Amino acid sequence: MRVLTSDRLDRFFATLAQTWELRLPILLPDGTRVIGSPDDGPIALLGIAILSKPTAAFFPQQETLFTASGGVLEEPLAPPRPLFVLGFTPRDLACLRFIDRFFADGWCDDIYFRLRQNSVVAGLSGYCGPGGTLLPPAGGDCDLELFWDGNSWLVIPYSEAGEAIVAELPDTAPPEAVELFRLAAMTPPDENEIVIKRASELLRGDRVPDSFWAEIGDRCIACTGCNLACPTCTCFGVQDWRTATQVERSRMWDSCQLDGFMREASGHNPLGSEALRTRRRIHHKLAADPERWGEISCFVCGRCDAVCPTGIGIFAVARELVARFG
Amino acid sequence: MKRTLTVCPYCGTGCTFYLVSDNGRLVGVEPSTTHPVSRGGLCVKGWNAFAFVHHPDRLTTPLVRRDGVLQPSSWDEALDLVVARLQAVQKRHGADAVMFASSAKATNEENYLLMKLARAVFGTNNIDHCARLCHSSTVTGLAETFGSGAMTNSISCIDQTDVILVIGSNSTEQHPLIGSRILNAAHSGTRLIVADNRRIRLSRHADLHLRHRNGSDVALLNGIMHVIIAEGLADREFIAARTENYAALAEAVADWTPERSAGATGLAADEIVAAARLFAGAERGMIVYSMGITQHSHGVDNVRCIAALALLTGNVGRPGTGVNPLRGQNNVQGGCDMGALPDVYSGYQKVSDPLLRDKFALAWGVTKLPAEPGLPLTRAMDAASAGLLRGMFIMGENPMLSDPDQGHARMALQNLELLVVQDIFLTETALLADIVLPAACYAEKEGTFTNTERRVQRLRKAVEPPGAARADWEIICDLAGRAGYSGMRYANPAAVMEEIATLTPIYGGIGYDRLDPHGLQWPCPDRSHPGTPILHLEHFSRGLGRFSPVAHRLPAELPDDRYPFVLTTGRTYFHWHTGSMTRRTHLLDREEPRSFIELHPDDAARLGVRERDSLLVSSRRGEVRTEARVTTMVIPGVVFMPFHFAEGAANVLTNNVLDPESSIPEFKVCAVRVEKMP
Ligand code: SF4
Ligand code: SF4
Ligand code: SF4
Repeated sequence: MRVLTSDRLDRFFATLAQTWELRLPILLPDGTRVIGSPDDGPIALLGIAILSKPTAAFFPQQETLFTASGGVLEEPLAPPRPLFVLGFTPRDLACLRFIDRFFADGWCDDIYFRLRQNSVVAGLSGYCGPGGTLLPPAGGDCDLELFWDGNSWLVIPYSEAGEAIVAELPDTAPPEAVELFRLAAMTPPDENEIVIKRASELLRGDRVPDSFWAEIGDRCIACTGCNLACPTCTCFGVQDWRTATQVERSRMWDSCQLDGFMREASGHNPLGSEALRTRRRIHHKLAADPERWGEISCFVCGRCDAVCPTGIGIFAVARELVARFG
Repeated sequence: MKRTLTVCPYCGTGCTFYLVSDNGRLVGVEPSTTHPVSRGGLCVKGWNAFAFVHHPDRLTTPLVRRDGVLQPSSWDEALDLVVARLQAVQKRHGADAVMFASSAKATNEENYLLMKLARAVFGTNNIDHCARLCHSSTVTGLAETFGSGAMTNSISCIDQTDVILVIGSNSTEQHPLIGSRILNAAHSGTRLIVADNRRIRLSRHADLHLRHRNGSDVALLNGIMHVIIAEGLADREFIAARTENYAALAEAVADWTPERSAGATGLAADEIVAAARLFAGAERGMIVYSMGITQHSHGVDNVRCIAALALLTGNVGRPGTGVNPLRGQNNVQGGCDMGALPDVYSGYQKVSDPLLRDKFALAWGVTKLPAEPGLPLTRAMDAASAGLLRGMFIMGENPMLSDPDQGHARMALQNLELLVVQDIFLTETALLADIVLPAACYAEKEGTFTNTERRVQRLRKAVEPPGAARADWEIICDLAGRAGYSGMRYANPAAVMEEIATLTPIYGGIGYDRLDPHGLQWPCPDRSHPGTPILHLEHFSRGLGRFSPVAHRLPAELPDDRYPFVLTTGRTYFHWHTGSMTRRTHLLDREEPRSFIELHPDDAARLGVRERDSLLVSSRRGEVRTEARVTTMVIPGVVFMPFHFAEGAANVLTNNVLDPESSIPEFKVCAVRVEKMP
């Protein structure tokens, strides 16, 4: 376990920048925090929750798949320097692990791995949650993890790339900090995790009536934010832009809360109401994915609850569901 | 990667977000976590606001019509031609033979500059913009009753009120981040009354849903006020201290018993009584309204009634109260504030006032400014078809789809000697133009927008405009220079705002250096002023609040045997107005790819119509083909059509009858026939 003091951060990142294209937590002018490039603003490893999803570094909202012109197909190149992305919370890292597997399973999504391959992912944990709350360490799922003990960052590498990056840092973690880390790793699940698990059991036990979804769905304004903010949502739409000389195909984040998402060419829609779509959104994460992948695909990051304008993110729905049927 | 904080280009809610760009191309949107209105959220249009910007249909070069065909030209040629031809028209037919249409999509600075161009350079007050079509009734009605035509309170007041009356506003679809706030309030104990005969989302969360007849708002509101007075629920103290002309109101509503009101509205008498008690019984009540109130041949009367209801219940000048017209376009508030109106300069300073004329003439360095108010946009079409108006310069508007009675609009535009259109796409209107000027879109320029709660916010440039396209403000200034006027040279939009601030008392303290991070709400008279979240706190802008009682008037065209349905028009959640941006946004157009008409199941059964059948809808103005959507959203006898779609355009059908005071067209009521296509 190594140590990175705040006064060495700048030098640390400057060294990294020689090899990697950096994506770091940044404080934007209006106080919003994102994972962005250092040109966007001051680096801010501590602060309010990052609402935009960190997986966007590898799966941006819109990206070109290819351009075709005069019989020649051109695909976008891998970036000149691989990405170093810092800012994933332990829960975000679980999300990343989930979509890494999803994008690699069976077929391999080369557009995703164009950015993901050779990248380095660094997690942030410790007392660096909003308002100084504890984010229990991830203990893996990344190349290295930075754990804030309140004074400095403990740095724990988990991969070869991670080892190489931290090699230069002093190996001087004080025993109290190591103990703090050990205790933090034993933090029991929080209320949201418990409620999500319980909701999953109820859904899988078919204990939730349709009338519940009608009521919740009535509050969905189809803003799509819950999907677009969710690090485990991977659905995308595809569009072609044509000019006289070329076609450009790109993909963009899509949302199962939209009617057009499942509409058939006939016009019929098997998910033609907000009730059915809301049910699907929750059901997919809490009942379908556990069947398919053996785990709930909501890793309790809190983003959908934060962006939903009408208060029906997954925690809110799960809480309501457990209160009524649990 | 670059992130640029800017303002949503769609509705007047004024959410801010970051545009994310990579190598000069937009790749997404990230909401602002801290913004007081959007608070980390956006609606579907905001989330997709980056997606049309690089569309291959964007205009990239000026176009000049030669041999009947629009052909690429240089800026020099196009701009010289615009000036020469505008001047030629004016020389032959007088200064007022040309009209400038400004845009609620353009920035404050651009609206100010276009009105300055019209008035100082071309010597005409013929300048207007699409506020004419949405809230001109509000501007007129509230100016008369309160002295200021803007939303009295702030969006955050929704969290502080006890009862909200939403009338004629489908807020969750048209102002989604305001509508969702109302929805949340309703779930946290705020009482909600929705008066709208469409079964809009908010109605499903309301304590009371009043499905009154289209165009019967005055009858409804008079009935409610009758009950409030009769039951002693009026706020006597407020009336005595802060209002005038109460006796006239009391007299006017004296015979609007709940029974009479029920007869005129199609509601039950006890619904009217319940609404009156619920609204007047609350400590703090907020009224929220929109096009369902304004777009009538008696739109100003509707607004007067709303103002009266707020005065009667003492619901003005406190948090959680107020008369809150939700302004539609992202910058329609700003367009009005900047004087892109035929009768006022920026800050609602009347052109008819000689002192104000002198003030502007002096500042602009001209000897004389025209004194007579100019033509409202809606009257301009009549003037053009009558040959009185000969030249039009249209910036960022598409009247071919947005004006009532499309056949009339087409004829009017074709009748012009000169039509110049400045836009980002080759719209239906631009297709008719003699000269087309390619403009930068919102993501490609600097400026400010003013949202519905009077919040002036910074728009920032994220990417370069395509090809030779230029920002509207640059084009306008270039035109002024070519017309021989030297008073419109600015380094940047910030410099334009400095000039605006010196000439416009309500914007006196606005400057770019003061607008971070979340803007300032006008009135903001000086540099130390913190802005004004709530208007009319101690006294009304006009002194006392005025009751302006009105009589109930029917819509101009009612159903009959030949045209048995009431057609009401509006927008869908996924598209914006004439669709030039949203119909080029993949996900949005996928949601609503086609024109449709909502029809009640009973009517559908009677006509033998099934979901998605092709229908022919006709009115006295014309006919369109569209697709059936059978739904209980509408009541029997009423059909609803959105006006976004060039194919199946609702405005082929609508009635170009205007409110006599505000010149707003009656988009909300006309009579149509619906037939199944063979
Ligand atoms: S909390 Fe919401 S956004 Fe986060 S992983 Fe779960 S479903 Fe996705
Ligand atoms: S964030 Fe909320 S309102 Fe938006 S689509 Fe999701 S559930 Fe619906
Ligand atoms: S609510 Fe209005 S301003 Fe906000 S994102 Fe939607 S369209 Fe844009």
